[in-house]
Amino acid sequence: MRPEPEADGEIVRAVLAGDRERYAQLVERYRDRYARYAARMLGSADAAEDAVQDAFVRAFDQLSQCKEPDKFVGWFFLILRNRCFAERRRSRTETSLEAAETVAAADRTEGGAETAERRRALQLALMALTPDQREVFVLKHVEGLSYGEIAERLSTSVPSLKMRMHRAYDKLREQLREHT
Amino acid sequence: MSEHEFHPLVKQLLDGDITLAALPPELRAEGEEALHLLAAVDRSPVQLPAVSRRVMRAVASRPARSVWRRVVEPRDVRLRIRPWLLAPALAIAAALILFLRPAPTAAPGSLITVRFVLVAPDAHEVSLAGTFNRWDAHATPLVRSGPTGVWTATLTLAAGQHQYAFVVDGVRWVPDPGAPAVDDGFGRRNSVLTL
Amino acid sequence: MIATLLVIPLTLLGMQQQDSIAARLAGRVTPDVATLVQQLSVAASARGLPVDPLIQKAIEGSAKGVPAERVATAVRWVAMQLDTAAAALREGGVVTDTLVIAAGEFAISAGLSNHDITALARTGASVAALTVGLRVAGTLAAMGVPSAENIGLISTKLRSGRPPGDLLLVPADVQSEIARGVTPAQAAAGLERAAAAQARHDPPPGRGNPPPHPPAPPHP
Repeated sequence: MRPEPEADGEIVRAVLAGDRERYAQLVERYRDRYARYAARMLGSADAAEDAVQDAFVRAFDQLSQCKEPDKFVGWFFLILRNRCFAERRRSRTETSLEAAETVAAADRTEGGAETAERRRALQLALMALTPDQREVFVLKHVEGLSYGEIAERLSTSVPSLKMRMHRAYDKLREQLREHT
Repeated sequence: MSEHEFHPLVKQLLDGDITLAALPPELRAEGEEALHLLAAVDRSPVQLPAVSRRVMRAVASRPARSVWRRVVEPRDVRLRIRPWLLAPALAIAAALILFLRPAPTAAPGSLITVRFVLVAPDAHEVSLAGTFNRWDAHATPLVRSGPTGVWTATLTLAAGQHQYAFVVDGVRWVPDPGAPAVDDGFGRRNSVLTL
Repeated sequence: MIATLLVIPLTLLGMQQQDSIAARLAGRVTPDVATLVQQLSVAASARGLPVDPLIQKAIEGSAKGVPAERVATAVRWVAMQLDTAAAALREGGVVTDTLVIAAGEFAISAGLSNHDITALARTGASVAALTVGLRVAGTLAAMGVPSAENIGLISTKLRSGRPPGDLLLVPADVQSEIARGVTPAQAAAGLERAAAAQARHDPPPGRGNPPPHPPAPPHP
């Protein structure tokens, strides 16, 4: 008989009471959930790794400020998000090198070189958007959230998200046309 | 409408509100272009196995949460650091930190003398770096007194907010486990001194 | 949300200030970081934000041997937190100066939220007192006091109208209580009760204290 997995709130409370080893459970649980979001936001898995790591460490440091321990993951997401927004890539060239390296792995999976090339091109184009635009695109089209879910998470309205997204669509089209 | 802008209906297609079939014929090509764009989205999962180990390593190095807890084990923490305000005949118990209270004024510009102490018998050199000395690891060496390995420096600082850390043997940046600490933005912590 | 970096010609920033920033950074940070700090300082200055925290963070990172790109990220993070602090203060009706904004930034870096900052601002304390209050609140947060008890205690102290120097005693008071064996939250809550009880006995604030200033006009 398997015990039920522990709720996030239980783990947070245990860590706050001094059992810091339990924090590893939260890290395991959510480490990869937002890794993809961070990677698409920052343009590479390496940058994502730094960002996710920093965010978990910061979340630990500020754990006593987590007002709703049962909703740790939402609070953690905001910390990660802030960390992603604070980062900027140095230049387009370096972004392209990293994006190319990241997607090189995709080469070996489905679709082959052509898919890899198109993915690389889109990731590059994404990096030309503002972080806000990139984020709404990533949350909807990579993470699969609805506008309503995104609005709730970012404490904003669906109309303003759509406006942001529609500008993103246009910019992506422009970028893809100019660089293909 | 600029030449790069998608038609509003195509944007609805992108949003998933309508299907390709719902587009008028003259917009089909644009609709397909839009769907091609979406097909290029990389949704492959990203895994970061190394993160767990690194995070837990950082977590393990954080000082105990209630930093003022009495630390009683004698062979404890090799680095025991206590800033306190200089005053005559002040006796400091082994692990208690007392902030002296000479009628503190918050008047900016007023000066307060602070003594920093580090117990580090195995260190060869110890210095103090912080906002008051441009984080220069060489500017403020502590002086060792005797075999017990007690290192001391006394500074006069302006009233206000200061952050600092000790630098042990020129390379190891160590916050003061006896003082409140904040994230330094680089994966370490700085100690805080509010005068 | 993050303010977009304003592109402002460097000439708009006083030449003297620009020189002094350059002088402080010279030899201590890489040229790229120096350029970034100059740019962020121009934008920050134009928004009435303090420049010192940006310079300090850049010098700190470089002194700690951190790669230039991470220094840049950290400096941008500070800039973000300065913006958040300023907005939170104005939301609370404070006519901000650079010192109080810097104090707010510190409080945020210690883990307080913009709502916590606004709550302290709404006590109506003078800017000088609020500056100390924010520094102390940040210190308490760093000591492990949860925000509710932290803001409760500091708000009560700020409203009591006692001199700001009294606030500087709070961390030591909290520490003494913790040494007695209670949690940081309990320590702060206990001190707040004591302060509230004292306030009932003290002469009302306003005698010799400046009245709370009226709310600032909405920030554009």
